Amino acid sequence: MGARVPRIVPRIDFAATPRRRYIDAVTAPEPSRGSQMSGEILEAAASEVEGIVVSEVIVGDHEPSPERGRGGVAVLLTVAAVVAAVIGFRAAIISSSASDSWQSALRTEVKRSASATEDVRYLYQTELPLAFQIIQARIVQGEMLAAAQGQTGAAKQGLLIEAGIQAQIISGISSSSDLATKPEYALTSGGLDLGQRLADLRAEQPAMVALDPDGLEAAGDKLANKAEVLSLALIPTSVAAFLGVLSQPFRRRRVLLLRLGTVALAGGAAMALIVEVLA
Amino acid sequence: MISPDSAAELRAEKRFDLVAAILIGAIAVLAALLAVIQIGASQAATRADLEAARLASDLSARISASQMATDSSFGAQQTAIVLGLESVARQLAGLENNDATSTAVGAAQQSAYQKLTAALTATSETSGGAPVDLYTAGLLGATTQQLLTELAEQNHQVDVAAAASTHEQRAVLGLSLLALAGVLTGLAAVLREGRGGRISLTAACAMAAFAGAMAAWALI
Repeated sequence: MGARVPRIVPRIDFAATPRRRYIDAVTAPEPSRGSQMSGEILEAAASEVEGIVVSEVIVGDHEPSPERGRGGVAVLLTVAAVVAAVIGFRAAIISSSASDSWQSALRTEVKRSASATEDVRYLYQTELPLAFQIIQARIVQGEMLAAAQGQTGAAKQGLLIEAGIQAQIISGISSSSDLATKPEYALTSGGLDLGQRLADLRAEQPAMVALDPDGLEAAGDKLANKAEVLSLALIPTSVAAFLGVLSQPFRRRRVLLLRLGTVALAGGAAMALIVEVLA
Repeated sequence: MISPDSAAELRAEKRFDLVAAILIGAIAVLAALLAVIQIGASQAATRADLEAARLASDLSARISASQMATDSSFGAQQTAIVLGLESVARQLAGLENNDATSTAVGAAQQSAYQKLTAALTATSETSGGAPVDLYTAGLLGATTQQLLTELAEQNHQVDVAAAASTHEQRAVLGLSLLALAGVLTGLAAVLREGRGGRISLTAACAMAAFAGAMAAWALI
């Protein structure tokens, strides 16, 4: 390729003195076009304008082209926008999953408590009053029969009649009460093993006993934490966009800003990937 | 030919571009920051809301179950006490009327009352005992102190949800202001350096500053 061609661009400044002009350099190998003017033209123009200093400087090796790195800026901003969109989308999806888990935990909690409360209600409000009646009748009957052993005459007869009444009550309602009639629920004191009976009632629906809202809530917490950490990756990504945008007006620092922006973007993307894979 | 006006315009345009670029970058960073705050606050509000609802459900179940067990125990004891009272009344009536049968029946009932009380006490002691699962046992065995502690936690979760919701609203307000700032910056870029463009850019700067303030407020 040929030798680099220095370009001549105008530099315009207000002068401290009312009228002053000079030419730094006019040695351009070929005339420039458009806004770039030759030294002769500038000199002529400057001589006609008060308070303006016009100088020509050869900046081909120092002043970066306005076009230089523009493609990089566009690529950085586009990639940063895409990465930010992907991260935001994933964070929103994961956050939504966390909310779903928490909602499931609440529904499961309601289902579990309703199931347990229903079993408790059935035992304590439906079965137990009847079972108490049977226990009471049994005990009274036993005491009447025991007392009748030591009595004679009308007293014995009365006690036996009373025991008979209790026997009638027992035979009338015993068939309706598993709690009072099944031996596995009988205590030696004459009472009932409510713990065993409730456990058996609960075991009739094992799926309800296995419900675990705490596990669902913990899963939701884990997902929420993942979404939060993932969303943090938006910050380096946005910093990359910031540096990319800044590189547009700061031409001299454009390459440096673009490199820093690329590093920030890579950091944000790497952070998102690590969270996605490991968390 | 470069006139003083043209020179000033070139400088102003460069400054305009610089401000616009910085503003766009700041909007990007603030948007990310507000999005992070909004996601975190939204999740905290949702979780606390649902946790409060869970605790309310659990409290309701605990109150209901423990109350049923307590009521049942009290009801049985009342039945036993009535039997005891009846036994005393029969014995008194037998003595007053010289009726040996009533006296004997009353005495037998008195003995039954004592055995029934012992049986009921033993029955109550098994309430919520093994092999009942821990959750159901917890419902039955809930004490007033436990319920009050859980109630305080439920109220705390409601407060946490309200506070997080406020933070989320501030973050959303900040994002809305940022959107407005973005639109105004775009408008300024279309109008370029000029009165309209400068006004749009200034307004965009103000909106972005408000959004920044919202982000700071949402973090508090």
